[in-house]
Amino acid sequence: MNLIGENISYKPDNEYHLNNISFNFKKGNLYTILGRTLSGKTTLLKTIAGLINPNSGSMHFEDKNFSEIPVWERNVAMVYQQFINYPHMNVYENIVFPLKQRKVSDEQIKKDVNEALNTVGLVGFENRKIQELSGGQQQRVALARSLAKKAKILLLDEPLVNLDYKLREQLREEFKRIFSEGFSQETILIYSTTDPQEVMELNGEVIVLDEGKILQNGPAKEIFENPLNLKVAEISNDPPMNILKGSKVSTKINLDNISIGLPSHLNNLADEAYNFGIRASEVKLDENGEEFEIELAEISGSETLLHLKKGNTKIIALIEEVMNFKIHEKIKINFNNNKFYAFDLNGNLVSSPYGAING
Amino acid sequence: MNFRHKFVFLFPGLFVLIGILIFPIIFTIRLSLSGWNSYTPEMNFIGITNYIRLFTDDPRFWESFFRLSFLSVSTVVLQYIIGFALALIVWREIKFKRFFRVIFLIPMMTTPVIMTVIWRTFFHESLGPLNDLLGRLGVEPILWLSDPVIAKFTVIIVEVWQWTPFMFLLLLAGLLSLPKEPFLAAAIDGASSFRKFVYVTFPLMAPISIGAIIIRLIEASKIMDTVFVLTSGGPGTATETSSFYIYIKGLREFQMGYAATLSFTYLVIMIISLTIIAKVLTKLMIKE
Amino acid sequence: MNKFYTILKYSFITLWTVFIVAPFLWAVSTSFKDFQSVNSKVTYIPWLDFEPTLEGWKVLIKSPARGGVDIVEPYFNSIFVTCTASLISIVLGTLAAYALSRFTFKAGFVRNNDITFFFISQRIMPPIVLSIPFFIFLSTIGLLDSLVGLVVVYIVLLMPIAVWIMVDFFNRVPKELDETALIDGCNPYQAFYKVVLPNSIPGLIVAGMFCIIFGWIDFFFAFILTFTEVQLLPVKVVALNSSITPWWSLSASALVSVAPLIIVAFVVERYLSKGNLSGALK
Repeated sequence: MNLIGENISYKPDNEYHLNNISFNFKKGNLYTILGRTLSGKTTLLKTIAGLINPNSGSMHFEDKNFSEIPVWERNVAMVYQQFINYPHMNVYENIVFPLKQRKVSDEQIKKDVNEALNTVGLVGFENRKIQELSGGQQQRVALARSLAKKAKILLLDEPLVNLDYKLREQLREEFKRIFSEGFSQETILIYSTTDPQEVMELNGEVIVLDEGKILQNGPAKEIFENPLNLKVAEISNDPPMNILKGSKVSTKINLDNISIGLPSHLNNLADEAYNFGIRASEVKLDENGEEFEIELAEISGSETLLHLKKGNTKIIALIEEVMNFKIHEKIKINFNNNKFYAFDLNGNLVSSPYGAING
Repeated sequence: MNFRHKFVFLFPGLFVLIGILIFPIIFTIRLSLSGWNSYTPEMNFIGITNYIRLFTDDPRFWESFFRLSFLSVSTVVLQYIIGFALALIVWREIKFKRFFRVIFLIPMMTTPVIMTVIWRTFFHESLGPLNDLLGRLGVEPILWLSDPVIAKFTVIIVEVWQWTPFMFLLLLAGLLSLPKEPFLAAAIDGASSFRKFVYVTFPLMAPISIGAIIIRLIEASKIMDTVFVLTSGGPGTATETSSFYIYIKGLREFQMGYAATLSFTYLVIMIISLTIIAKVLTKLMIKE
Repeated sequence: MNKFYTILKYSFITLWTVFIVAPFLWAVSTSFKDFQSVNSKVTYIPWLDFEPTLEGWKVLIKSPARGGVDIVEPYFNSIFVTCTASLISIVLGTLAAYALSRFTFKAGFVRNNDITFFFISQRIMPPIVLSIPFFIFLSTIGLLDSLVGLVVVYIVLLMPIAVWIMVDFFNRVPKELDETALIDGCNPYQAFYKVVLPNSIPGLIVAGMFCIIFGWIDFFFAFILTFTEVQLLPVKVVALNSSITPWWSLSASALVSVAPLIIVAFVVERYLSKGNLSGALK
């Protein structure tokens, strides 16, 4: 049964937190909601959970009008970004709590709890107090509690954002495993995040949210290859996609002070002004390329992020090595021409390297 | 449907409170518009005669009000300074820390009236220990309770004894809840104790200080027990606070109508002044 | 320089301690005196300055008929009234505080903060303002000079305290905890009872403590609203003061009356050190 939302709007104090949102979530699928902070992700999740009542619109699940069902009767589970567990209970009691509320039989409880603990890798922790656990373990308990409920809708609101980097990577892997194998085909999984990389790794159906509106939705690959407009391109790329104003003039693209040969996939474009987009990862060091001045060099893991400037053009390049650069040093870079996007002056996608062409 | 419960939570308490209060308040207002006194013990209607009398012909009330302000403000200021000093000292490690903390709390746990009964014997001008000890040091006996000016200070002393622990408790609890990081940073920066206090401790304690001061001001403005037992408002009217004056007019002279007028006016003034003080203090501290 | 500062510190707290202890010492000493020791010259140390007697203390045990002072009944009356009123105030006050912390109220221009302010502002009322109307109110419904009447009045005194402390406390319990309970199948009442309340014990203890203290020490309302049937402790002691009771019985009665709450001081200090109080009182 699908979770269908129609024209949901939430407007407290005259400000739209959700603006005319519609969705159709099918069971057994993973949906990732991608958006920046304050874009409405948490609001949307809370609305589905029933903690927030929208001002307009409706939701249906299993043929029932959701708006008439209070939170405690909906079959949902939610994992928060702040590790929320019941502090006055130990791990076992925490996981058992929702099951006891639903008056599940004792044997069934044992089975479900053990299964959940197994899935999150916390077998043997039953008697520990919540305060004794680390952040990652606490979040796993929260997840176990949600899993044990066998809820039809599982909501996760940026569950990894408060964990340190290593833990985040580790848990992300585990999530992928849990979501693909250990999961019931009856459940709708909804996962929100600000991190585009997470979205790509989880590889679900993506919904891009900004200022309470859905900008685009589709499989992760689709969002990556064909962002429908500049906003989506901005939100779904980290570091943000470089957007350069320029125009196509017969066989060349003229950016502010650079001229580039026209990539073949842009042949059919009219000779006009556009916003051209290119990912930071598609900017390469090239001795024969254009000279840019380095404004900032950030080393991140095994990569280097270069903030470059030439005249009025500013771009970010992602170099896949660790290199020591000095500010104001000049280097030469070139673009991977085949990966240029073209957006019209209104910000809409006109042409993408992956084949979608919007008139 | 989702929200009926919020009223179930709030209303019992709210209704009980309003229910118990509503009669007295309305009654007081109605009473203030009547001329109920011992000659005419009935609820007649004389309009705002009482209020006119209060505002044009009763300097004693306004004197009592200024006296009250003086007493409550000075006592709260003293309590704040002493209480803060005490809290700072027992906050960190010192000898017999627990002993001192308990001792400092004790006065607050005693019934003020009863302690005042003891104070009365203590401050007794001929048979009390205070004047006796001072006498042995060659000091003339001080008229603790019968000199109009000194009597005020006697009241302040008793109030400070009684309520500094309350301030001490709030401030110590506040100090104990402060985050450690700013202090570590200050230590690394080589700040002296004095600078640490001025630039780290005091600003961090600002919100708690305001809360404590306001709460104490509210309580202090009701000074009644001490005055009642220690000096009966005297000598003369030297320590007569507004509460005491209202008491005299209402329950000694039985001018109930007029007392109600005084009560109501006093209440309105107090609510307005305390709200203003609260807002001003908050702004002041935030600017710091 | 540091030495000077240390000496200053210790002298200050020593002086203050002496100040705190002085009236108690005086009262203890006086309670063992008799007419001679009090009225001829000021005396301090028993056996040194004067002959101690147990007159002051014996008076507490003797029945009133034989010149004794009965403080047992007032003692129990005080305990009953204070505890009952505190209990009711805490129950109703905590529920209201929870509502004010978690839910939004809007009635015209009245918002949550206004309602909270209304509760807390009851403390501004000086007892005198309420005592005359309460006097008439209680006599109308026949509750003058009764324990129940006093309990009713004390609720007005104590509920604001409960609300003040608990609203602040609840505001620091994350809302997400309530929400998770709801999602896990609890209705709002169960969420409160099973999840929020067990995590609010420190706050409740602080609220309880303050309610009991402020209830126990009330003098004025008991003074105005009770006469012979019911007497509370503070009233009893003060009544002794105005009659010709000798200083020694006065001191003895006073000491016995203030003793119990001193135990509370120890409890408070323990809690303070453990850090629970700090959170609740902020």
